[in-house]
Amino acid sequence: MAISTAPPAALPTGPASPGPASRRGRGGPRRRENLAGYVFLSPWLLGLMGITAIPMLLSLYLSFTNYDALSPFSEVEWIGLDNYRTMFTSDPSFWHAVEVTVTFALIAVPLKLAAALGVALLLNRAFRGVGLFRGLFYLPSLLGGSVALAIVWVNMFNRDGAFNSLLGLFGVEGAPWVNDPRWSLETLMALAIWQFGAPMVIFLAGLKQIPVELYEAASVDGANAWRQFRAVTLPMLSPVIFFNLVLETINGFQGFTAAFVLSNGTGGPVDSTLMYTLNLYIKGFTELQMGYASALAWVFLVAIALITVVLFSTGRFWVHYADGEDR
Amino acid sequence: MHPAPSPRAVEPTTRHHRTAFPASGLRRRLLAALVAVPLALAAAACGDDGGGGAAADPNKPVELSIFWWGAEGRAKLTEEALALYTKKHPNVTFKKTWQANQGYFDKLATLTAGGDAPDIFQIDDNYLTEYASRNVTLDLMSYKDSGKLDVSKFPESLWNYGVVDGKLAGVAFGENTQGLVFNKTLLDKFKLPVPTTGQSWDEHIAWAANVSKTAKVPGTQDPSADYKAFWVWLRQQGKDLYKDKALGFTEQDVAGWFTLWQGARTAGATPTPDVIHEGNVTDISKQLVVTGKAGTSWVWANQMPELKKNTKDELGVVAYPGDPSAQWARASMYFSVFRGTEHKDIAVDVINFLSNDPEAAKVLGTDRGLPSNLDIRKAVSETVSDANMKQSIAVQTELGAKFGASPQVPLKGHSKVRSELIKAAEEVQFGRQSPAEAAKAYFAACQAAIGA
Repeated sequence: MAISTAPPAALPTGPASPGPASRRGRGGPRRRENLAGYVFLSPWLLGLMGITAIPMLLSLYLSFTNYDALSPFSEVEWIGLDNYRTMFTSDPSFWHAVEVTVTFALIAVPLKLAAALGVALLLNRAFRGVGLFRGLFYLPSLLGGSVALAIVWVNMFNRDGAFNSLLGLFGVEGAPWVNDPRWSLETLMALAIWQFGAPMVIFLAGLKQIPVELYEAASVDGANAWRQFRAVTLPMLSPVIFFNLVLETINGFQGFTAAFVLSNGTGGPVDSTLMYTLNLYIKGFTELQMGYASALAWVFLVAIALITVVLFSTGRFWVHYADGEDR
Repeated sequence: MHPAPSPRAVEPTTRHHRTAFPASGLRRRLLAALVAVPLALAAAACGDDGGGGAAADPNKPVELSIFWWGAEGRAKLTEEALALYTKKHPNVTFKKTWQANQGYFDKLATLTAGGDAPDIFQIDDNYLTEYASRNVTLDLMSYKDSGKLDVSKFPESLWNYGVVDGKLAGVAFGENTQGLVFNKTLLDKFKLPVPTTGQSWDEHIAWAANVSKTAKVPGTQDPSADYKAFWVWLRQQGKDLYKDKALGFTEQDVAGWFTLWQGARTAGATPTPDVIHEGNVTDISKQLVVTGKAGTSWVWANQMPELKKNTKDELGVVAYPGDPSAQWARASMYFSVFRGTEHKDIAVDVINFLSNDPEAAKVLGTDRGLPSNLDIRKAVSETVSDANMKQSIAVQTELGAKFGASPQVPLKGHSKVRSELIKAAEEVQFGRQSPAEAAKAYFAACQAAIGA
């Protein structure tokens, strides 16, 4: 709904379906068609049930138990809301992980979006080799959440890594970035921000959609470049900004790979990179508190849903749909 | 789906049936599925408890899965030893899986949770109690009593180190002890003395500070985050890590330990906190003594060959500082049998073979620690050709003469006790907490971890 390229409203029902009235009359073939539809959907439906829905419901059940991953299900005890109570009242690592994750998202997401938008604006002009530059800037995103990339990052930001050698050229003495609790989370943020390629490409697509006439009209009115950016580009791009904001926020909260690799799965040094999902993993797989980890996962799901709802409700005030005047 | 009754719809009879109670039927079926799935899993997980294995037909082809952690060298030796078993019992083959130590226990837990644990798996004292107390491991006591599992040549304390709550949960597969490894090449270069067994902690720290000053390489890794160093130190004070079902030390002990090393850092005996952290979290191949970032590292003596593979420098090893009788012969690791395996007898026989067969033992050497079987240990130490293994045997034999009694097998929650020590020690190392504050937090976390 937020994207400029609105998907077709529904699947076309085929040339042989004249209208709703006659549709009801021809129940048989219609139903067969439905059945065929479900059959075609079945690989996806089975996947959804088997890989997503049933495990999710199971984990909801487990979140009310003391399941420890090793004992058989028959010995699992129902402990009601104990896991949730522990989480909010007597587990400091939970609140610490929340703090780390929120800090990470609050800083990394806006900076990543700003970087993506800035570079998209630069690459939106016509100049020689623009395709190459677009490709190069997108490259880090292709590598995505890969473990290899995180390992490279750790080595670059070691005490004797490439980054400090670079600083050394300017006579600046660097810090042991990844191994220092004051800087380790910032190092992770930098990695996330550097991978701004995906939102950048979407911004580029959005920028291309803005009619040139608007800029022409603005410049006739005497608006300078900054004014044009404020009055034309930003409002016209706001649905795309909104889309990127929602996606990147969710992504930001779910950061796991880099934190896991950087800290060897511990969240260290001294819990400075203990992202929520990493904490969940440690609780479930290292400390074998699978029931508790399930509860953590459900709280996380609800929290992300809430954040998304909040984002959507603020969208009303700043997202401008050029083609949605009739709504 | 709206079950609009349509006279023209020609349906199979079952279809009529379904349209009769549409919504409730579906719901009931979904509910049934939800209930059935966990039940089925549970049944699979706790099934065939009393099964006697493949005793019916001794020549029936059997494939056993076996899982261990380690480096490539260990994989080669283990595969070779297992091939020997297959040669003697052609019907038994193995599905071998191995990986690095990091992530091993995550994977083992996941496999176990899925009811799909390997028939035979390697485990250590971090997790033995966790698995044994949850009945994942087969109790091998009856096999020991019947002689099908022969531990008669094991040191008494060593096989006992696999007993949890009266059940023999794992067969000790190798013996090791704490070892302080030093870079001999570096020390020789600067004509510095090598550390010795029996030096006091203060002497060691003074020695390390001198190394830092002379060689410009931090003398010793700061072991305040290392549970095994802390453990030895505690035992020298007449304490222990655990006592029965509780902790064997006090908050003041922890504070004392942290203060000792705070002094060492101030004296310049150790690397900077970020480098200490590197040593705390990396695996054996990147310990500071190997990467040249410190003069000594705190390891298990059987890890020497693995350390040596990663450096050109000559390494030496002595006991941890203080009275060496605080050290003990620890089972470096165990082999355990999954309680749900279909081939209990064969799995036990394989472990028995790996532990006691002279040929297999010769292949395995000291890769997992000194062989548990004393006869085999003697034979291996006489015939071993690998220089690294030779040194490791010599050192452990020398230290072995000074050992004290073994502590009890660590309690459930031991891995948390370890990881919390790293956290607390690093809080002090990075100067974010005083030794007393960190000790208080650590003590509370340990209490919670062992459920005391």
